[in-house]
Amino acid sequence: MAKKPKIAFFDFAGCEGDQLQIANLEEALLDLLGHIDIAAFREVHTGDTGGPYDISFVEGSITRPEDEPRVKEIRDKSKLLVALGACASIGGINCMKNHMPESVYREHVYGDKARWYPTYAARPVSAVVKVDAEVHGCPIDRGEFVRIVKELLLGRTPWIADYPVCVECKIAGNICRYDMGRMCLGIVTRAGCNACCITEGAHCWGCRGLAPHANLDAARYAMQDRAGFTREEVQDLLRMYLGFSQATL
Amino acid sequence: MSPKNNFSTYAPRPATLVKKEKLSDLVSLFEFEQDNGKALAHKPGQFIMLSIYGIGEAPFSVSSAPEAGNARFELAVRKTGTVTNALHDLKEGTKVGIRGPYGSYFPVQKFMGKDTLFVAGGLGYIPLRSLLRYQLKHRDEYGRIIVLLGTRNPKERIFVDRLAQLKERTDMEIHETVDVPDKNWKGNVGVITTLFPKVEINPQNTFVAMVGPPIMYRFCIGPCMDKGIPSKHIYVSLERRMKCGLGKCGHCQINGLSACVEGPVFKYDDIAPLSEAI
Amino acid sequence: MTAYTVSMEHIPPLLELWAKEYDVHVPVRDVDGFVNFSPWRPSAEIAWDYDVAYNSLKRFFLPPREDLLRFDLAASTAEPVMEAPLQLLFGVHPYDVKAINQLDQLMDQGTADVNYRKRREATVLVALTPEHVSDLAFWSSVGADSVDIGFDMYFTRISPSSFYVEVLSPKGEELLLARGELPRSTLPEREAAKRKKAAIRAKADKNGISFPWKQTPKLMSRHWDSPLWRNKARHCLSCGSCVMVCPTCYCFDVREEADLDLKGGRRFREWDGCMLPSFALVAGDHNFRPEARDRYRHRYFRKGKYIFDKIGELGCVGCGRCVNACTTGIANPMAVFNDLWEADNHES
Repeated sequence: MAKKPKIAFFDFAGCEGDQLQIANLEEALLDLLGHIDIAAFREVHTGDTGGPYDISFVEGSITRPEDEPRVKEIRDKSKLLVALGACASIGGINCMKNHMPESVYREHVYGDKARWYPTYAARPVSAVVKVDAEVHGCPIDRGEFVRIVKELLLGRTPWIADYPVCVECKIAGNICRYDMGRMCLGIVTRAGCNACCITEGAHCWGCRGLAPHANLDAARYAMQDRAGFTREEVQDLLRMYLGFSQATL
Repeated sequence: MSPKNNFSTYAPRPATLVKKEKLSDLVSLFEFEQDNGKALAHKPGQFIMLSIYGIGEAPFSVSSAPEAGNARFELAVRKTGTVTNALHDLKEGTKVGIRGPYGSYFPVQKFMGKDTLFVAGGLGYIPLRSLLRYQLKHRDEYGRIIVLLGTRNPKERIFVDRLAQLKERTDMEIHETVDVPDKNWKGNVGVITTLFPKVEINPQNTFVAMVGPPIMYRFCIGPCMDKGIPSKHIYVSLERRMKCGLGKCGHCQINGLSACVEGPVFKYDDIAPLSEAI
Repeated sequence: MTAYTVSMEHIPPLLELWAKEYDVHVPVRDVDGFVNFSPWRPSAEIAWDYDVAYNSLKRFFLPPREDLLRFDLAASTAEPVMEAPLQLLFGVHPYDVKAINQLDQLMDQGTADVNYRKRREATVLVALTPEHVSDLAFWSSVGADSVDIGFDMYFTRISPSSFYVEVLSPKGEELLLARGELPRSTLPEREAAKRKKAAIRAKADKNGISFPWKQTPKLMSRHWDSPLWRNKARHCLSCGSCVMVCPTCYCFDVREEADLDLKGGRRFREWDGCMLPSFALVAGDHNFRPEARDRYRHRYFRKGKYIFDKIGELGCVGCGRCVNACTTGIANPMAVFNDLWEADNHES
């Protein structure tokens, strides 16, 4: 790209943790700024120089009526729209509420002011507008974000892992959680995080969404029939991030 | 066994894009020149690995005929993925990296003195063009040259002007068809198999060179054998995903064979028993 | 083959000496009881009695991610990257040496893979006769119970405090004698080592494929259309765990990444596997192995036939790592081969 591309960040329902990851890039962010102009990024500075934008990064899920026209407007003003983080790319933990009665989660979140805040089932950005690329994860992996931005700057389709976390977990040389009698969603979750949670001693929570060919029947067989976890335990873990997918059915 | 020097298996050498020519909406012809001034020294049917740094590396069949002392060679490429998109965006004068040539090739020695039946489906004409041009360059050494060429529709035809010139020649014949015609198309309509009845051949004296999409082989091998061409006279080139070009990375395996080392050009007899070939 | 007898107390100072020149890796048991090859430290307690190392050793020769090139975007030039640290792997079981020997042959075949070759040549391999056999292992039934090439030294424990050490290479001899002369082994010591090897083989023989392994390629040829492939693959997660942990699987992907300044970058290879769905996907979205069954079958044909056709050995050394790594329990070459054999012989 000859001219510096204009980049903007927007957020919907989410914790803005992904933009925080980007702000935390520090030196790498400064290097990136040599190649781009930032039009809107409220984690870093106030204001919005206005569209059109070359690349818009959209964080958060769509969960209120007013979100829809706003995200559509962003889409209209953006050459490329990239979903940033789990809430935007797969609906994320906001979708836990999709499996609860409306009155329960509204009461839980807004208390006696619930009637002032209309919300409905949470959805990923792609459920409302066309998304050109997705930066997965909760939070996103900073290294992956930088790589994806570089690839977009070079004009290529970003490379996104299309296999489960197990691949990267084996690459990392970790002991499989199932060998330790623990449950792990790495067997169905899209890689790209370098299996960071497992490497750090936890297990995979599924925050990057299902791998494109995830075999959910086989996963249930592994978790319930072979590893001996109950249906409820499996369901709870699957509903944490994968509430918008068929994993929870 | 130890490599004699520090020659890297995976390091490309530089070449320069000297000419770019649009062949259809999505296909362009790219002429490259090796910076070392040497001929690519490929054989018809072989491929190279082409690098656009920062984007990636991908395999491409060479579309020009080998020519001693000529550092230039041609690739015809359809815009279809990361590397090919970037290739189409390159300006003339840009440098790229190349490795190869790699793989097996059409046995031009064995074809000598015999008739050749080319069966080309769509982009399959690209590697076959290397063989065709080689034979035309050494016209006296070969018997009849018959080309069957099928394309999905007239818009996707490539090398249109050159084909028109070839059709003028009296020392070869070209039969062309499109699956779906447009209002200007005056030639044959129908899939490539509809061309077989149109040609008279001397089967025992004919070799077949066939390249096309996976589905085409299933429908074209039969008609060749029906005409009486011995199966050992049929050569096909098979496309697979390739990453290394050297039979290491595993991507291009067809059962136990590597399309990049034992292929891409196979004698039909050798792959007929393989369930994954065609 | 020359053999020396080495006492247990002689070993730590030897390792310390070797570690001055080499990255020395030894089998170490972690707090959860899993054994892995880890960098040697003076405090390291070698897991002499380990049954199988959790991770295979291929990462020392074919690292999970390995740079192949440094490139310059503007000039469009590239320089090869070939890193090969001097390394010494101490305590490698015969089936794992066998796996490395197999990689040697395959990476050298045709055009040699120089990156692999350089790492391999910078490596000293010290083999060790196993004391225990993993429940999942079947190496003695696939011709991987003994090995006579590929290592520099071969340790066999013949008493609580001593080892019978065969040296195969001049390098091995030089390193073993680096702290001074050692006694040549006596005939009884050689006999003791032989008995030790025979004893562990007898233990290993309790689990295995139920027919002569050289029959496997022919067996496979008869079973391309077996219902087994679909039955097993039903439970396949396409997660790639079996290929990643396999000591003889060497497939890789090649990708690249530009530097932050977008002026230069690196091309690297990364472990890939035929069990992953997009492995045989070409431009235009045609997948030559679209179904899990196709990929599952390919893997076992590769293990049981294709590699054999190339080098005369099974592409499986029976270490059992894939059996352990598969969370749905379908990755088990021994079970696959035995099932097919039984299907032919109408047993069970």
